[in-house]
Formats: sequence, C-alpha cells, structure tokens
Amino acid sequence: MFHADHYAVIVVGGGHAGTEAALASARMGQKTLLLSHNIDTLGAMSCNPAIGGIGKGHLVREVDALGGLMAKAADRGGIQFRTLNSRKGPAVRATRAQADRALYKAAVRAALEEQENLDLFQQAVDDLIVENGRAVGVTTQMGLKFRADTVVLTVGTFLGGRIHIGLENYQGGRAGDPPANALSLRLREQPFTVERLKTGTPPRIDKRSVNFSVLEEQPGDNPEPVFSFMADRSWHPQQIPCHITRTNQQTHDIIRGGMDRSPMYTGVIEGVGPRYCPSIEDKVVRFADKDSHQIFIEPEGLTSNELYPNGISTSLPFDVQWELVRSMKGFEQARITRPGYAIEYDFFDPRELKSSLETKHIEALFFAGQINGTTGYEEAAAQGLLAGTNAALKAQNKEAWCPRRDEAYLGVLVDDLITRGTQEPYRMFTSRAEYRLMLREDNADLRLTEKGRELGLVDDKQWQFFEEKREAIAKEQQRLKETFVRPNDLSIEQAHELLGDELRKETRAIELIARPKSDYAKVTSLAVVGPMHSDKPWAEQVREQVEIQAKYSGYINRQVAEVEKSKTAEAVSLPEDIDYALVKGLSAELTEKLARLRPQTIGQAGRIPGITPAALSLLLIHLKKRSA
Amino acid sequence: MSERDTDTIAAVITPPGRGGVGIVRLSGSLAFSIAQQVASKVPEPRMAHYGPFIDHDESLIDNGILLCFKAPHSYTGEDVVEFQAHGGPVVLDRLLQRCVASGARLANAGEYTERAFLNDKIDLAQAEAIADLIDAETTAAAKLAARSLQGEFSERIHNLVSALTHLRMYVEAAIDFPEEEIDFLSDGKVAGDVELLIEQVETLLAAANVGRVMRDGMTLVIAGRPNAGKSSLLNALVGNESAIVTDIPGTTRDVVKEQIQLDGMPLHLIDTAGLRDSSDVVEQIGIQRAHDAIAQADRILWVYDGDADPEHRSFEESNLPPHVPVTFLHNKADKTGRKIGLDANKKVFAVSAKQGEGIVELKAYLRQTMGLEQTTQGEFLARRRHIDAIERALEHIRTGKAALHEGLAGELMAEDLRHAQLALSEITGEFSADDLLGEIFAGFCIGK
Repeated sequence: MFHADHYAVIVVGGGHAGTEAALASARMGQKTLLLSHNIDTLGAMSCNPAIGGIGKGHLVREVDALGGLMAKAADRGGIQFRTLNSRKGPAVRATRAQADRALYKAAVRAALEEQENLDLFQQAVDDLIVENGRAVGVTTQMGLKFRADTVVLTVGTFLGGRIHIGLENYQGGRAGDPPANALSLRLREQPFTVERLKTGTPPRIDKRSVNFSVLEEQPGDNPEPVFSFMADRSWHPQQIPCHITRTNQQTHDIIRGGMDRSPMYTGVIEGVGPRYCPSIEDKVVRFADKDSHQIFIEPEGLTSNELYPNGISTSLPFDVQWELVRSMKGFEQARITRPGYAIEYDFFDPRELKSSLETKHIEALFFAGQINGTTGYEEAAAQGLLAGTNAALKAQNKEAWCPRRDEAYLGVLVDDLITRGTQEPYRMFTSRAEYRLMLREDNADLRLTEKGRELGLVDDKQWQFFEEKREAIAKEQQRLKETFVRPNDLSIEQAHELLGDELRKETRAIELIARPKSDYAKVTSLAVVGPMHSDKPWAEQVREQVEIQAKYSGYINRQVAEVEKSKTAEAVSLPEDIDYALVKGLSAELTEKLARLRPQTIGQAGRIPGITPAALSLLLIHLKKRSA
Repeated sequence: MSERDTDTIAAVITPPGRGGVGIVRLSGSLAFSIAQQVASKVPEPRMAHYGPFIDHDESLIDNGILLCFKAPHSYTGEDVVEFQAHGGPVVLDRLLQRCVASGARLANAGEYTERAFLNDKIDLAQAEAIADLIDAETTAAAKLAARSLQGEFSERIHNLVSALTHLRMYVEAAIDFPEEEIDFLSDGKVAGDVELLIEQVETLLAAANVGRVMRDGMTLVIAGRPNAGKSSLLNALVGNESAIVTDIPGTTRDVVKEQIQLDGMPLHLIDTAGLRDSSDVVEQIGIQRAHDAIAQADRILWVYDGDADPEHRSFEESNLPPHVPVTFLHNKADKTGRKIGLDANKKVFAVSAKQGEGIVELKAYLRQTMGLEQTTQGEFLARRRHIDAIERALEHIRTGKAALHEGLAGELMAEDLRHAQLALSEITGEFSADDLLGEIFAGFCIGK
C-alpha cells in the first residue's frame, strides 16, 4: 500500500551525497523525501574528521557556489583550518578543515530541518519500485511504499557491506550500522554491472592515553581560511592543533609479523582498495625501503576524547593493531577505543550513467556517491548535489544539466566516471583536471553561481552577495586598467621591489600586478594607484580575484582557446538509438565498446579509452548520413 | 551539422614519388594568411599566381604556382590554398614544414574528404567511399608510423617519454600531495631535471635530423688505396642513377665532390683520390673544402681490393676524421666469390663495382644508415609527424622551464609539461591523467 504523499524526489541515504541531493531538490521547490535508516546519523563523517584538501576543497567550493551545504557546515564545525599549497599558485591552493564531528553533524541536521519542501523519514529501504523501465518509488523495511517522480540512491558503503578485522569478518554498512542487504539483492536483479571495492579506517585512540609533549605540533593557519564564500571567521568554533608522529622499524616489524592474519594478504578481501590511501600494511610491503611513515593525529572534536591517527588505516587483527599503535612515539601507553577495519562494498559501473547521474538502464533513477565507485565526502557531496538537481529537473520535465570539464571539478568527476569508469575508489586530484588553471577554489562562484541561480539552487541572499562581488571585481579591474604608473611615480627602491628592475615606460597598474615579483598589495600601495575602498564582506575576495586574474591571464587565455576548440565536439550529440553496427569502417572492438557505453556526445565518445580520432570521423559521417 | 573545428590542415596531396609537380594543400581559416606569408601574395580566388615560395629565413624554397579558393567554393568548403611546386620529397617537405610552422597542422587520413563531406561538398553517394578511405588510410598510416618507429629512434622516443613522465610525476606529486614530504618543486630537483630533459630532446632531434638529411643530403666519403676500385664504385653509384649528376654549385673547380640523388635525397660523394697532387692554388682551396667536408661526413666507405687485400690491412685511419662511422667495402667480389652485401658482423659490405653487382643493395644499405629506410613519401611523412610532435613538445618544455624560473610556481610548468606530453602522445598513444597518477602511486608512498 502506498503512502498518501507523492513526492517529486525521493533520496535514499543521508550521508554527504544524500543530504546535498535532498537539499538541492528542495531548494528548487520540489517536494522531497529523505529516507535514512537512522536519522541520528545524518551528515555523519564515517572516515576521517576532515573536509577539503587538494582537489577536494575545490569540490566543496563548487558545492558552495551552487548553494550547497558542505562548506557552511565545515565553517560551523571546523576546529582547524589550513590552506594547502599556499606557497604554490592559486589554482592548486586548497582549503582543508579538521572538523568536530558533533558540530559538523549538528550543522547538517539543522540545515535539513530548516529546509522547506523537505521531509525526513527514518526507515531502511528494501526495494525500488520500477514500472515500465522507470523508477516510481521505493519500499521500506516495514513494507511502506512511497511514490515519487524520481529516486536518488546514495547508499554509500551499505550495499552488501562486509567489515574485516583480521581474518574475522561480518556484514555491516559502517562500524556500528547494519548493511542494506535486501536492497543490494534487489539491485543485483537489475541489469547493472556490480563490482566490489574496499576501503579502510585506522583504529581510534583515547586522547588521554597519548603523550603530546613529545609530539610535533601542527597548528592551523593564522589568519584562518574560510570555506564558504558567504561565511566569515566568526562562524568558526574554538581552534585546536593537530599533531604528527611516525612509524618506525619496530612498527614495521610488528606489521610484518601479523601479515599471515591479514585479510588483504591472505586473499579474504577481493575488493580493490585505493592506491592513494593504502593501509599501513600495504605501505610497509610496497615501500619496504622506507623506514618511517608520517602519521597525522587528528582530533575528533572539541568535546571528544578520541583521536584519528591518519595514516595507519589497517585491517590487521586487533592484537597486532594494539601493538603497532603502541610502538610509535607518544603512543607508548595508547589505548584503542575502536579497532581499525576494512570494508568491502558493492558499487555500480558508473559508465552505465548519463552525465546527469541518471542511470541508462532505469529511467528516473539517479545514483550519487560511493555507489558510483568514488570515495570521499566531497566527491559524494558534489555528486549528490548534481543528482538531486537533475532529479528535480526531471520531475519537472526539464532538461538535465552537468557542468563541462572546463567549468567545474564536478564536471571532471562525472565525465571521468561515465567515460572511463573506475578500477579503484575514485578520488579527485587536481592533475585530473586539464583546465586546472581555470578551475580554482577562488573562482568557483564566478564559474557556477549564475547557473545555480538559474536552476533555482541559489537563494536571494547568496545571489545578491555574488552580484555585488562580481560587479566590484569588474569595477576594480577597470580602475587598474585606467590607472597609469609612470617611471617618475616610483622611487628606485619601489621599482626594485615591484619589478626587480626600473620602470621604463608608462604602464597600466593592472599590468604591473601581473609582473612576477609584484602583487596587488604592492601596486595598490603606490600613492598614484591607491587602495580599493570597501568594507563589504566580499572586499577581500575581490582583491584576491583581481590579482589572480591578472597574474594568470596569459595561461588562462590559452586554456580558453583550447576549450573553444573542444566545444563543437561536446555540442554534437549521439542519438540514444544509434546502431553502431551500421557505422561503416568502425572496428569490431570499437563497435562493441560504443554499443555498450553509449556515449551521449561526440566529445564523450572521444574520451573513452581506445576511441581514435578516425573513429570519431566515422561517427560524424554516419550521423550526417543518418540525418540526410 | 554544425561546422567542426576550424584547424587549418596541411598535406602533400600528390602521390608519393618523384613526380614533375607536387602539390601541398592547406584547408582552414588560416590558409590565406599562411599563403600570404609563404608567397607574399594572396591571388584572386581561382587565379593562378607564379612566384617564389619563401621560408622563414627568407631563403627560397622553390618557384611555383599558388592557387586560392575562397570558402565555400572549394573542395572542402573551407578556405583552400594549393602550392604547386617541383615534385620530389625535399622541396615538398620544406613547403609542408613551412606551413606547419606558420600555424597549420598535418592533416589526418582522409581529412580533406571528410571535411568536404561534412560541409556538404560531396553527395551521399560518394559518402560511402569516405568511410573506406578513412579506414584504409588510417590502417596504412598506422603501419607506416609503426615502421618509422622501429630501431634506435623508437628506443630514444621511448626514453624521452619516460623522462618526461618522470618529471611530470615529480611536479604533479608535489602539487597534489603537499603533505607527503615530496616537494620536489621547492628542493630544486625539478629545475635540474627539466634542464636535462631539454638537452635530451635536443639531442634526439639532432639525431633524428631527417630534415637536415632530407634537405642537405648525406655526405659520404669514398676512401681507399689507388686501384682499390674507388672510381668504378663512384661510377657505378652515379651511373645507376638515371637522374642528374651535378657538380655542387659554386664549387666548379671542386672536381672531387659529386652529388647524386638517392630516391630523391641528395647524396654527396667525396672521392679521396682527388685529394692528391695539387699544386694549383685554386684547386688547393677546393681540396681544403673537401677536407672540411670529410670532417663533417656522415659515413666513410673504405674501399679495398678484396682479392689482393682480403683483411683490409690497407686501412689508414690517420688521414680520416675520427668519430665518423666506417663501412669496409670489399670490392671485386666477383673474383673472391664473397657473398654480395653486408656480412654478419655488419662491418664489411661486398660488391663488385665493375660488374655493378651489389650496387642496388649498397644503396639500400646507405639509405638505412641515413635513418631513412623509408623510401616512400608516405613513410617519410610518418617520420615527419613524429619529429613535428617532438618539436612541439620541446617548445612546451622550454616555456615550462621559463615559467618555473620566473618563480611563478609549479602549476604553470605543469600545464606546459602536460601539453608536451599531449604532443608526444601522438606518437606513443594516449597517456591519461590516471596513468600519471599510477606512476605517482607506484613511485611514492602516498597515503595520509
């Protein structure tokens, strides 16, 4: 029997993908239901207590630029903020925040409860209701049926989850939570390609048992960076440092001694783990010549006594974990509060998704987060936002949206997944983005907020803030273009400071900023130029933006030209009913590949590994013949 | 269908070989501006213009006919330019290179026809054939590229790609993993490595020197004792060549140097026999020139009488420049019965100059030593593509080095190195971001 309410969008799962999906759909005015097996775990951080980092911070800013929650929750819950790569250029700088789990979760919960058009309901989902190849609702554990125009699945590691500690293993979706086995079985009956992945966590440590006096302290940055474009430092709670310790020869000996009981090395675990986040046993085996590894000790929160020792993720038996932890400096008396474990879970081959994250097999069904083979809160949140947006668009019979690779890391993420698939949990890195210099944290709003507003994701307050900021940037750029600095305006010292040389001819202030030794602050401190007068909250963002755009302009122009060239291929769509067997001259291998993956555009087809320029030519010719 | 990218493409469109006339065609938005640069003129559409084709350095490539076709009234439907020059690979290659350096790129298999079709210049009935054409040309091009990539050249490209990958691995690891104690950008390692990489690419280009050999030819020194058969050999090499035998212009007194065409490529022969007994002052100048040429020679053929001196004990190193590779030419094989051709040790090549036996084989061998096993224009073009890609890669690496030195930070250099890798990928196949990450994870212990 169906529940009385009919929803536009149902989101299954309340992790980082699910919450952003539900919030996005609700912001767009669509009646939305968020189903979670446990409302108390909404917004929980299942792995390490940190948000952001290289590539990931970029995604968080993009979510923020599209009206999403993650950056704001990080500002509410962040107890240590740093800008990584601060000595490198702006494109690769990234914000990272250590979060207090409780504060972060509370911020997520508050946002969900305040959101209009959004209902929360606690019930595990056991089945998907599909009619005529279209998802029309879900059935919960107690048999309750909910109808909806679209369904978004964000079930994380819960599908067929299996937890390993040593050679012991049991079913679980996360330590302390049951897996979603009924749903996993039902989905396996659908025509999706299911594979297994593996990830892991380290044992948690009781703070009171650690000797901090012998450990290296790692403080946050001062002044603290802020995550959300709309936030400021006053949002941040009390700030505390992290610490660093190291493994040593003894630690490695202990690990080697426990290998015969490692589920990874005895073949019990079949799922593939991430190469960039290996377990400590992996590190010791694969990099045997390295006699020590850094371990970052992250506090779990202001009021928690637990620590997260980042870098010793392990699935070794508990007695080995106990010993290896105690072999490290400062940890001699350490007590483990929760054992480390590895978890294996199902994911669906993301090449069976459209760029909207709607599945190709079942209409109106969307996937986001770890179910697509990704890892990380930020990757999940960004996908959740996109899936929620497209589910809401679909419910209104509107055309789907996905940013291109040159518009957002979110675009890179989705395009990589749907054209290349993944063999390990997919994590964002800046090296995945060919337009890296354009896709910066600092300009995420300039890239996306206007689109977000058009889609209904960005509220009035954010929009007004953005418009004022954008206008101020243009104004300041214009002022610096029209202000000339003459050789006489500079003392010899000033010229040397700015240029490392004398100024030979009259130069625009904006061009002086672009010089290698110069910057915005130096140039606007010249009497002839003067500072920008503004006490608006975005003033600092404007100054930063003007400087970065001036400094990068040559390279950015080159990337813009590159983007222009690729746009035509992106614009040529491949019809869903195309019969690749009829494409003349195409090899059997490529015919099979294209028929299986069914790319949506020529651009997507070109990024599928193995597809050659000649094959694309043949496709274009075929399309032209078809249309004739 | 909307118009596709407006890249300007260039290719030699006349059949390979040494025809009387060869045509280089350009199609795309830059076609006319390139014509202006090369011929200093863009004639009215469909009006022939005769005049010089000029290289960057103002030197003359050839005199020929230029034809322009304004879009859409052209074969491809785009702006099209055709340079008609004298046939033969050297001139056409120079012309093609000139176009590429001016902004065109080398056309892919069947690309003109493809553009013609997509721009509605060819009807549907003809379209069927295009797929076949692209298919056939792609297969052929792939075969040619593979052949061009054999041997030492292939190994050097391979080394180059791995050096570049290695450098990128360091740069990208420093960017993406700043907390992993691997910041090679700040410790100077990358700056040193990029310097070495540039040297490596330059060496490779110098060695590949197809362009130089194509244009300037190979210099071959024929040396040996009197009566070893040098003159007969020279005659046999020259005599078999139906084309022109010329004196080198400007060295009319220089009787010791002759030029023949080896499948369209110049081969300069220096007969050391002519280097003796000169009292004439003018001739002495010529002899000095010949000595200079010998010092720069690409190869020495030491001719000996296989009958009288089977162990070639007559070899005199003293008069010959060091570092120039030597091939021992066992002459009079008709008398000694030695098997014609190169021996197993690849040191001795047996011919019978007088009987003309082994001369064809010798030419093939010489082509091979020139690094030009490719005899057809198609094969040569495949090699040209590789060189073109390497040159572009070098340009990017140099820009990257400059970006690093200006202190702007590694991400700009990373961008240039990515472009360098894209260029090399045209030779070696795709190298994805994920491949690069794989290198990083294999090379460094990442894992916070």
